[in-house]
Amino acid sequence: MKIFGWHGKVLRVNLSSEKTASEEIEGEILNGFVGGRGLGVKMLYDELQPGVDPLSPGNKLVFAVGPVTGTGAPMSGRHAVVSKSPLTGGVFDSNSGGSFGVELKFTGFDAVVLEEKASSPVYVYVSNGGAEIRDASAAWGRDTQETTRWLLEDASPKARVACIGPAGENLVRIACIVNDYHRAAGRGGLGAVLGSKNVKALVVEGDTKTHVANELAFAEVTKSIAFLLKKQPLTKDSLPTFGTSVLVNIINEHGMFPTRNFTEGVFNDAEAISGEKLKERIFLKPYACRSCPVGCGRITSVEGQEVGGPEYETLWALGAQCGVNNLEDVALVNHFCNTLGLDTISMGSAIGCAMDLSARGLIDEKMRWGDSKKMVSLVRETAYKRGLGGDLAEGSRALAQKYGAPELAMQVKGLELPAYDPRGAQGQALAYATSNRGGCHLRAYMIGPEVLGAPTLVDRFEWQAKPKLVRLFQDFSAAMDTMIMCRFSSFAIAVEHYAHLLSAVVGVSFDTQRFLQLGERIWTLERLFNAREGFDHTDDALPTRFLEHPLEEGGSRGMKVHLSEMLGSYYRVRGWDEKGNPRPELLARLGLKA
Amino acid sequence: MIDHTKLSPDKTSSSIETLCDEAKEYGFASVCVNPYWVPLVSKGLQGSNVKVCTVISFPLGSTLPEAKVEEARLAMEAGASELDMVMNIGAMRSGNNELVEKDIRGVVDVARQKGGLVKVILEVGYLTDEQVIRACGIAEAAGADFVKTATGFGPMGATVHHVRIMREAVGERIGVKAAGGIRNFKDALRMIAAGASRIGTSAGVEIMEGYRWADLSEAWVDIEEIPCKLCPVRAANAAKMPKDVYSYYKSRCRDCPHRDTYNRFYWR
Repeated sequence: MKIFGWHGKVLRVNLSSEKTASEEIEGEILNGFVGGRGLGVKMLYDELQPGVDPLSPGNKLVFAVGPVTGTGAPMSGRHAVVSKSPLTGGVFDSNSGGSFGVELKFTGFDAVVLEEKASSPVYVYVSNGGAEIRDASAAWGRDTQETTRWLLEDASPKARVACIGPAGENLVRIACIVNDYHRAAGRGGLGAVLGSKNVKALVVEGDTKTHVANELAFAEVTKSIAFLLKKQPLTKDSLPTFGTSVLVNIINEHGMFPTRNFTEGVFNDAEAISGEKLKERIFLKPYACRSCPVGCGRITSVEGQEVGGPEYETLWALGAQCGVNNLEDVALVNHFCNTLGLDTISMGSAIGCAMDLSARGLIDEKMRWGDSKKMVSLVRETAYKRGLGGDLAEGSRALAQKYGAPELAMQVKGLELPAYDPRGAQGQALAYATSNRGGCHLRAYMIGPEVLGAPTLVDRFEWQAKPKLVRLFQDFSAAMDTMIMCRFSSFAIAVEHYAHLLSAVVGVSFDTQRFLQLGERIWTLERLFNAREGFDHTDDALPTRFLEHPLEEGGSRGMKVHLSEMLGSYYRVRGWDEKGNPRPELLARLGLKA
Repeated sequence: MIDHTKLSPDKTSSSIETLCDEAKEYGFASVCVNPYWVPLVSKGLQGSNVKVCTVISFPLGSTLPEAKVEEARLAMEAGASELDMVMNIGAMRSGNNELVEKDIRGVVDVARQKGGLVKVILEVGYLTDEQVIRACGIAEAAGADFVKTATGFGPMGATVHHVRIMREAVGERIGVKAAGGIRNFKDALRMIAAGASRIGTSAGVEIMEGYRWADLSEAWVDIEEIPCKLCPVRAANAAKMPKDVYSYYKSRCRDCPHRDTYNRFYWR
């Protein structure tokens, strides 16, 4: 039977036996989990041994795309990387833009699963239904830029590359996977998982077409999406003009721009690292992922080189979080992180944590807030696990724990928090605490309704009704991550459009309720995965700083997070028991088994 | 129920054409434009159920009643079927009820001859509550089909408070149009709940698209509205309002029971 949207195939690569195999994916799994994050999580839940060491051969790493990838639908040029995280110990997916995802889809596979461990450094070349495991000894030790160039020469200039830098090779738990030179599946240390398997890169190339079930409906819905993207001020003006860095001034004005390891919510020098300043000083041209009409990426000039970024989160992590107010320094450190293969959010946050420890005299190493030279050396030391970098490489939680001040690590479930102080947005706070992958803003981007007014503005300090809204956004985001669509599309289009688009592509009817239930199924399965790994309700927590210490200045002055008031209600809204475990009737409704 | 509106003077023909296309696509009640664009809109909406709406003596309302009549006649001839006229605000504030009624009746008579309808813009930011209620009575007596909150160019947009007192004043006998600063579906739902039967906005598409979210969670309406954020006092502006109206609003704030609960925090 002909299927649409999907190829219905997964490529399995056994790195120890050096065998590859193409397998059919069951229709039930495709319909129930669709693609991307959903497909990856389902495979890992079914296949991983509970308690497996994330950096051992027993862990698996899935590169997955969705049915909409490669169709040319607006903002669909993304891919997901899913594995058990060496940073959090839980299930983890990280998705990235660029062109890699579309090219992966062109190979004729919906997913590539890397299993076991190669005996020496390799890269995996996938093209039109086949794959080869090739020697990558010559690339081992090289940074992500050199590696990409070498692979394009060695494999094919038309291919697309996702690779690790020295950080991933050295099993740094905050290492990322960089694709297309400067896009990254950044979070969760998935670069270290690739490194643990001795895999330097995945290289993809192909021309296998994705067939759309209903061309007419597809044309109508994509036209409608394109129209709405051109209508919404954020996707029409703000993001194309300033990129994500437009948020620096907005979030700072709301008093929730975390400063000096979240001790303050206002960075007095925010203007110096703002999107406006970036445009004025280092901006060269915008960058758009494949099939994206918005183009929020930035190509900038750093020490005479054309480089990617920095994005909003990076401007914060390597800027305000560490008290750095020099834009050029932030851009330079961002470039080092990209080339060494480090997640900029976790890296900046870990350095901020170290600076906080130093300021309190808890570590011997002397460093002061705003010392960007020190940052440069710490980034390098982290990638190679030298000196204090060896501690930073384990992430903030382990770092703060080691030096006797666990409360100074600004993390949830081991993942460093991003650039929004939760005291300024109660919904975002709950979303952080309950996120299955840890301190993350993308599992439910509550900043949309709570700050940006997308789809509409709600009171950011209210907490009684937020659990319902957080659940909606978590389910919605999980479903979106299966297609896979860029999160920013949701500023302009509603759940209904995603459901229509998915239906048109795969030829299976998804209404809004079924679409949201898809997200709920994935969310619940992630919860089950984490429970199997020993997580429980006590992990739905935030650093005590947010619960006990109100912000002292700015637009969120006087605010603390009302987490305990929200959590019980959130569990009820989700159909979980008071310990945060999904109830049997919920599992039955979603077709899941514990 | 939405009047899809573009009234700023810098709009070009292509943006007006887009407005018509959007109105047809979303099934809006009317397209509301300045009189110059009426022929273009008439053509653009041909064959659809969307009405052509224009404005009379906009945005000040201070011209002669005869000029309003002539402007209304020309607009109707050009293809308009709904006229949003600005009341003579100064006369209203001076207590010249007779002139205000005459002013409105002249436009209503012109509209009636061609089966059109008239909405009277009160521009509530220039009036006290007592004046708003009185203006509603005059407009109704003069035969108007709707009373409307604001032009969008005055000192204050539509507020829940004003829509509510306007609805109370006119009952179900005529319509209430909320216009001015309605940007999203929550704003629109609030106005409808307060009694609005028509919404004037330039964000019609955003409202309709946002509304798709409304059914997905009760939370949108459960999230407590902070009274001070919706209060007209918040929009009161000494630089734009008559001093007596500004003082009127500020005095309301001083006596408000919500002041101690919310004001200190939300007025930053």
